Amino acid sequence: MKVNWNFSLYVQRSSILVIGLFLLALTLFTLQGMMTAEAAEGPKGPVEITVGTGAGGTPDVIMRRVAKILGEEKLVEQPIVIQNRTGGSWMVAVNWVIGKKGGYDTLMGIAQPLLTTPIVQGLKTVYDQLVPIALFVQGDLMIVAQPDSPFKSLADFVNEAKKNPRGLKFSGSQTGSTDHMVVALLEKAAGVKFNYIPYDSGSAATASFLGKNVDGLVLSLGEAVPLVQSGKVKPLAVLTEKRRANAELKDFLTAKEQGIDLVWGQFWGLAGAPGIDPGLVKWWNDRLQKMTATKAWKEGIDTNFQRSDFIDYTKAPAYMAEQHKIYLQLLRDIGLAKQ
Amino acid sequence: MEILGFLMDGFRGALTPMNLLFVFIGCLLGQIVGALPGIGPSAAMAILMPLTFGVPPTTALIMLSGIMYGGMYGGTLTSVLINVPGEAASVMTAVDGYQLAKQGRAGAALSIAAIGSFYGGVASLTAVVFLTPLLSNFALKFNAPEYFLLATMGITATASLGSGSAVKSLMVGVFGLMIAMIGTDPMVGVNRLTFGVMELMDGIDFIPVAIGIFGIGEVLASLEDRKDFVVLKTRLRDLWLTAQDWALCRMAIVRGTVVGFFVGTMPGTGPTIASLLAYAAEHRASKHPENFGKGALDAVAAAETANNAAAQGALIPMLALGIPGSQSTAVLLAALLILGIRPGPMLMSQQPGLVWTLLASMYIGNIMLLIMNLPLAPLWASILRIPYDYLMPGIIAISLVGVYATSLSLFSVGITVLFGIIGYLMLKFELPRAPIVLAIVLAPLMENSLRQSLMLSSGSLAIFVQRPISAVLLLVVLTTLALPIVRHIRDRRKRNSFDE
Repeated sequence: MKVNWNFSLYVQRSSILVIGLFLLALTLFTLQGMMTAEAAEGPKGPVEITVGTGAGGTPDVIMRRVAKILGEEKLVEQPIVIQNRTGGSWMVAVNWVIGKKGGYDTLMGIAQPLLTTPIVQGLKTVYDQLVPIALFVQGDLMIVAQPDSPFKSLADFVNEAKKNPRGLKFSGSQTGSTDHMVVALLEKAAGVKFNYIPYDSGSAATASFLGKNVDGLVLSLGEAVPLVQSGKVKPLAVLTEKRRANAELKDFLTAKEQGIDLVWGQFWGLAGAPGIDPGLVKWWNDRLQKMTATKAWKEGIDTNFQRSDFIDYTKAPAYMAEQHKIYLQLLRDIGLAKQ
Repeated sequence: MEILGFLMDGFRGALTPMNLLFVFIGCLLGQIVGALPGIGPSAAMAILMPLTFGVPPTTALIMLSGIMYGGMYGGTLTSVLINVPGEAASVMTAVDGYQLAKQGRAGAALSIAAIGSFYGGVASLTAVVFLTPLLSNFALKFNAPEYFLLATMGITATASLGSGSAVKSLMVGVFGLMIAMIGTDPMVGVNRLTFGVMELMDGIDFIPVAIGIFGIGEVLASLEDRKDFVVLKTRLRDLWLTAQDWALCRMAIVRGTVVGFFVGTMPGTGPTIASLLAYAAEHRASKHPENFGKGALDAVAAAETANNAAAQGALIPMLALGIPGSQSTAVLLAALLILGIRPGPMLMSQQPGLVWTLLASMYIGNIMLLIMNLPLAPLWASILRIPYDYLMPGIIAISLVGVYATSLSLFSVGITVLFGIIGYLMLKFELPRAPIVLAIVLAPLMENSLRQSLMLSSGSLAIFVQRPISAVLLLVVLTTLALPIVRHIRDRRKRNSFDE
């Protein structure tokens, strides 16, 4: 009996000791974890980048390229997974990320619908809840016409529209999309009216144009160049401040050169969930900056005729706020804003 | 004959051990992904794309396209065996295939689907090889007015689908149209019937609906009456096709190929719409349309042939113009971009090695898939030897997990359960379930393209007769609508003359 009692006491004591040691180890481990998080040596586990388009959309392709290069160049050791959370024109995606407050492993691809959907749908503004890390891809646009049309320039095209209000047709993607805004801007800049026909996607709109159903189309340069080279579209104007320098692009006139003040483009980047550690923001910013200097990245940018001007985490919030203001004004002008 | 030379070069490229391995991996993954409900081939291609980083671009594309058409073969399995569509394009297979399985003919359904898919795939691929430039121009002639009429053809078929009264079918079809109305208006961006629920802004996806009303509904119904499911008889002979089956399905396969291929080449459609339209067309052409919905083998043949034919047909706009013909080809184009190749009209001339090796690999892949599916059909059908009591929890689990995986949201799981209950009630009230699916898939196409057509013509309906293809389609639609009425009047007259 006595021995047994002693034995059980022994067991009790040693188990208390074991549990105590375990708790101590756990505390130390957690503390260490917290300390490293504060030191922000990058994410501790797999990272997820959420995008609001399905696989194959431009933002999706860009983010997959980012994940590929960050991995291959060993800039980020943790695996990066792209998650397509479609629904509500990016709103499902962004709300999911906003719900991941402080998450070290959750990033969000930045694309225009983040800013424009709440305006068009009359929802609460969401972009300002995210923490922008960097904007690092810019896409320029081009307006094209049918190859057998009489128009030689954007000026010709606009003159015809003046004579024939709503007579010239544009196909483009959904209401409130970049295509739609560009056509509205052209209407505003030139004082004309077009007939804009929204399709489900950019490629459906391109198919409609190639089937000769409409007169004009807005394309990204990556889409436009192969079509120009094969004679399926006639370039009217590039919507940049100055002509692009690439060999394939240097002969394309800008809208400005033709006397129409229209400069417009798209941009993409990455943001963190609300409350993300500022150190981690800087860490990602540095890694992305290194990525944009790699050969693989530059080649991808050149293939798609994009640009990669790096707007870092200090400047990105202000840049986005400014863009938001511009979109809001434009969408109000064309009667699409519900904000 | 220049093309044959290119194709031979393509085979030389595709028959290297490395490429053969990746054809096999792609087809196997496609088969699995297709069979599992929820994630379809296009999502799987995107998820698995990182696996291809590090291999040459051609090999990567070979594998990804293997998933694309492998999924078309795999989707049949779960549709037939447990009435859960494995991927979107197999949904019509669930309608008749499962009825066949209940009659103990799952093996026949799976075999005919494998043969049909193979025939449709190889025939379409051959058309892609020889006719791409020609057909890409033809496909571009299809735009909003033509899509509207195609969708109308499919929708008007709902009235005659299903076993009982046309009124019941129409009611269900209209219910489907109402569900399709939920979401953001595609033209002006106004929310319709969303009641402020953000998850409804993009509308109700049809995969959760189909999995709910077919798979879950079936399970719920069989919980209360387990006698109606005949446990499979063990005779292997029953699992194969009979000469009679073959005679019945031969023409269905040919028709399915033609419909599937042409619908597939159009940039605005894809394998799902192709198989729906092939089902509707077969229903019109069939000698025994009354069997559709009750287990018609030729319906399975047509739908399954068409989806694979469409999957390959979708390559035409992709190769000739750089425009995706389906969701899967959109991912293939994205993969090209990520791998550093700029797609576009020049792809075939700038990257002949890549294009021809890809096409050759698809012949090889289709043969592999035929081998994977045809001899194994009886084996798969043997799953039904498992008593249904044990299968049921598994069906519910893979259905709900699959739906969750498509959207990563519990909202769609809720939608699935809701439609499971609706499906159960429809079974109880003997309402046909196919029209819902047809309506949900075709309504957005029909609505968008009608409104686009009228915008193109500035409001004039003349656009439907001014365009030659559209005029022909309109004539077909009007004829099919008028025929039953004319027949009805003639019958009545005949009856009246007898009475006198």
